[in-house]
Amino acid sequence: MDTQDKRMTIDRRRLLQAGFGGLGAWLAGRWLATPEASAAEAKPRADACIVLWMNGGPSHVDTFDPKPGTKEAGPFRAIKTSAKGVSICEHLPRVAAEAHRLAILRGMTSREGSHERARQLGHTGHIPNPTVDHPALGAWVSARRGDPKAELPAFVSLGGPSAGGGFFGRAHGPFVVREPGRPPEDMAYGPGVSATRFDRRRAALAMLEDSFEKETRSAAVTERRAVFAQAVRMMRSPAAAAFDVSSEPAAVREAYGDTAFGRGCLAARRLVEAGVPFVEVSLDGWDTHEDNFERTKRLMGVLDPAMSALIRDLAERRKLDRTLVVWMGEFGRTPRLNGRGGRDHHPAAWSAVLAGGGIRGGLALGATDAQGEKVVERPVAVADLFATITSAMGLDPLETVPSPGGRPITLTDGGQVVREIVL
Amino acid sequence: MLRRTSAWVALALLSACSGGGTGGLPSPTAAPSSPPATVAPTPATTDIVSRVDALLEAEWKAAGVSPAKPATDAQFLRRAWLDLAGTLPPPELVTTFLADPAPDKRARAVDALLASPHFAERWAAYWEDILIRDDVKGNLVDRAAFRAWLHARFVENAPWDRVVREMVAATGKSSPGGPARERRMAAQNDDAEPEAEGVNGATNWVVQYRGGVEDLAGATARTFLGVQIQCAQCHDHKTENWTTTDFRRFAASFARTRVRPVEEKEKGMARAFEVDDGKRGRVGKKATDEAREIATLAPTALDGTELEGDAPRAELAAWITRATNPWFSKALVNRVWGLFFGRGFVEPVDDLRPSNPPRAPAVLDALAADFATHGHDLKHLLRTLCATRAYGLAGGPPAAEATWAAFAPRPLPAPVLLDAVLTATRLDPWLEDTLGERADALRAKMRERFRFVFDVDEAGARAEFDGTIPQALLLLNGPLVGYGSSALAGATLADVLAMQGGDAAKIEALYLRTLSRRPTAEEISRWVRFLDEAASVPEEPVAKTNGQGPLGKIGKKRGWVAKTPRDRAYEDLFWALLDSSEFAFQH
Repeated sequence: MDTQDKRMTIDRRRLLQAGFGGLGAWLAGRWLATPEASAAEAKPRADACIVLWMNGGPSHVDTFDPKPGTKEAGPFRAIKTSAKGVSICEHLPRVAAEAHRLAILRGMTSREGSHERARQLGHTGHIPNPTVDHPALGAWVSARRGDPKAELPAFVSLGGPSAGGGFFGRAHGPFVVREPGRPPEDMAYGPGVSATRFDRRRAALAMLEDSFEKETRSAAVTERRAVFAQAVRMMRSPAAAAFDVSSEPAAVREAYGDTAFGRGCLAARRLVEAGVPFVEVSLDGWDTHEDNFERTKRLMGVLDPAMSALIRDLAERRKLDRTLVVWMGEFGRTPRLNGRGGRDHHPAAWSAVLAGGGIRGGLALGATDAQGEKVVERPVAVADLFATITSAMGLDPLETVPSPGGRPITLTDGGQVVREIVL
Repeated sequence: MLRRTSAWVALALLSACSGGGTGGLPSPTAAPSSPPATVAPTPATTDIVSRVDALLEAEWKAAGVSPAKPATDAQFLRRAWLDLAGTLPPPELVTTFLADPAPDKRARAVDALLASPHFAERWAAYWEDILIRDDVKGNLVDRAAFRAWLHARFVENAPWDRVVREMVAATGKSSPGGPARERRMAAQNDDAEPEAEGVNGATNWVVQYRGGVEDLAGATARTFLGVQIQCAQCHDHKTENWTTTDFRRFAASFARTRVRPVEEKEKGMARAFEVDDGKRGRVGKKATDEAREIATLAPTALDGTELEGDAPRAELAAWITRATNPWFSKALVNRVWGLFFGRGFVEPVDDLRPSNPPRAPAVLDALAADFATHGHDLKHLLRTLCATRAYGLAGGPPAAEATWAAFAPRPLPAPVLLDAVLTATRLDPWLEDTLGERADALRAKMRERFRFVFDVDEAGARAEFDGTIPQALLLLNGPLVGYGSSALAGATLADVLAMQGGDAAKIEALYLRTLSRRPTAEEISRWVRFLDEAASVPEEPVAKTNGQGPLGKIGKKRGWVAKTPRDRAYEDLFWALLDSSEFAFQH
């Protein structure tokens, strides 16, 4: 049985589970499936994905799409990078030195201008729909690529909040670490509890659980016990040390920067090395309606060492080929300044950056007009970005899953792989 | 809630001892020989209860399942307390109830619960979680003011139609203002504050949808009518009758609604908004094309009734809550049935479209009609549900659960579990002793963390277990159960250890406080063996403060009374009870 047949079988089974209401949409989804999509699924180019989420919506014209010489550009200059013909903001010098590994998408565009809606879109690939609880991309990776026997969760959010497991259930939602780079909360024994005493407590708990499970024969009780066992496995796993960056050499920690985001990026590298397939690290504060330049400059001071160190470190450890790094936020910001020296939400044109795992580096694809208002070349929708990421991860961007309501849902909402940046 | 509990229990016990009215509790001194009461205490519910029982029994027969055996008295009491009061029954009430021979004691217990202050607190918290969006910006909604408003409605048992009308048509000021931090802390607190003068807390329900007339319209139809008309926002509904135009006309009732800040934004201060309606539909500069079109349409209800008057929002509220509205009563009954029985007649509970037919439709219809006939009296509905045969059944196989022929065990809602832990451990007095004024802030912090980890979502509560590793870690290693299960002066375990009597009495006391039942003889002997064994093993020294979290630094100082290895084994037993599924589930 070849790959294509196997997929058809699986989909047929899902179809039966979904009921016949979804038949039309299912068939449409199949017929629209391109041979490329199948090929992408057969050859995963990345085992892991790290998303650097710029919460609030980073100003594209002040970061990866500079517009030097225009009236509204402000005080920032553009600098050359290690990618021929590509310039970025002067406050990202170390990232500029890694640009030969980056694919900058300058034609990102969407219609969602509110944080909640755009955040949902950027995490799930779908605009909010009150009737379908769309899972985050990390949840999809967890459901399809996660190993149920793994000691670490498949979807980790460093800094949170990310988005949830959606209709895949909370078990596939993000494992949120509120202080990136430190061990997760409640991983250590409580006060006065040793390993031996903890075992005694668990033995006592098992006695209670055994009789209640036997009495109720409830699947929910069995599942709860399994989650507790998984939590204990994680507490006691040596792999859990990946969350904690304190054992890294001082020079490495300094390279990433002594910030929560820097520690998060370092922890993300460690987690990926420990086998976690999806990590999100968030950097908050990009919603610069006031004092745009001062705040954006400060944020770039945090971003620059962390992002560049992450990419360089992964490359030096020969992990970058198999790790996809994505930089993005919910939207860009208005090229025009408002009365308070700020920039407002601008979903019509913005930038995203990809590196590693099957991505061609050293280029900027697409362009905005002279001010950065509109996309004038190679527009890319969030769905296209998702198709590109999921294909690289070896997931089928057109995979159809019945939602609990029985309606078929496609992973990427009809996006097309951005072929120009794929190796 | 906790401080109030003891006073209320004392009152309830007192009224029970003085002969007991309908609000009283079973008397511990009732003579076993007294004639069993044959008259149901609440005649208003008798008809509907027997109708529901008969319809469900027919359902069971048709499905070929036999109903589970009746739940024990202890199971029933715990179940009713968790559902109606959102917390555990006090141990002294459990023993009194178990000793009471009167045949109507279950009905009387339910009546007493409905009359207790817990009822309004639990139901205000439950509806707040459903009604206020999770993702709403912190500075927009005053949750404490909304809770205060809801709480006052449940205290007076306001008819459900009035509650909904007051929200949908709400006008006025949304918050008393003041420091934002204090408002947030008040929102975390269990004890609802009184309604502030000049403030209409109900407006917060409207305020949360500021600038999103489409979302406000969608939420109205979904929450109060179980109609998912917002699907028609993007496309004509494929399987139902709604078109995009239907949706927009429905939404037009809200087009004149204005939500304006009362004062300028100030850092660190809560914001108050004024909600009212203008003369005509108006749209802001940033409005979507859709919102612009909505503003031009004639407001129309879902059955085509045009709302022609000057105040379309108030007219819509009246149309929604009319006794003849085909969806209104069903939507509420279905949701509450889902809460009490683990699964609604229709699932998801807010999706009553024709192509998603209910299980046992006759039961839903009967209950909805009865609810409307009784003026949308929530307490009447709850009393009815608790009196049904199905509610009083024990657990059973999944096939029986599917038609409610057996009671399906399910995880407690997170706020209820938190309350159960606090009640069972009586951590509060120790906290106040040790921390004084900081205790309130710490409690708010613990609640916030608990809510964060458990991702409270009453709207999506299900019978399936949907737990996560962080939840398990919080219960295994976190401060709440960790300190709660320790023998701290003034808290539960210290009192139990100081009790007169042997292990059997102490084990029983712990069972009554956690599982709300007596242990079996076999369980007692098993735990005595456990204690003996643990006490005979030499202990290894451990640091008292290797735990993290809000209580990390204070624990070693005051009030630790576990002195012997046996005391510490008791802590382990108590810990296991608090982390057990029997404790954490409604069953």
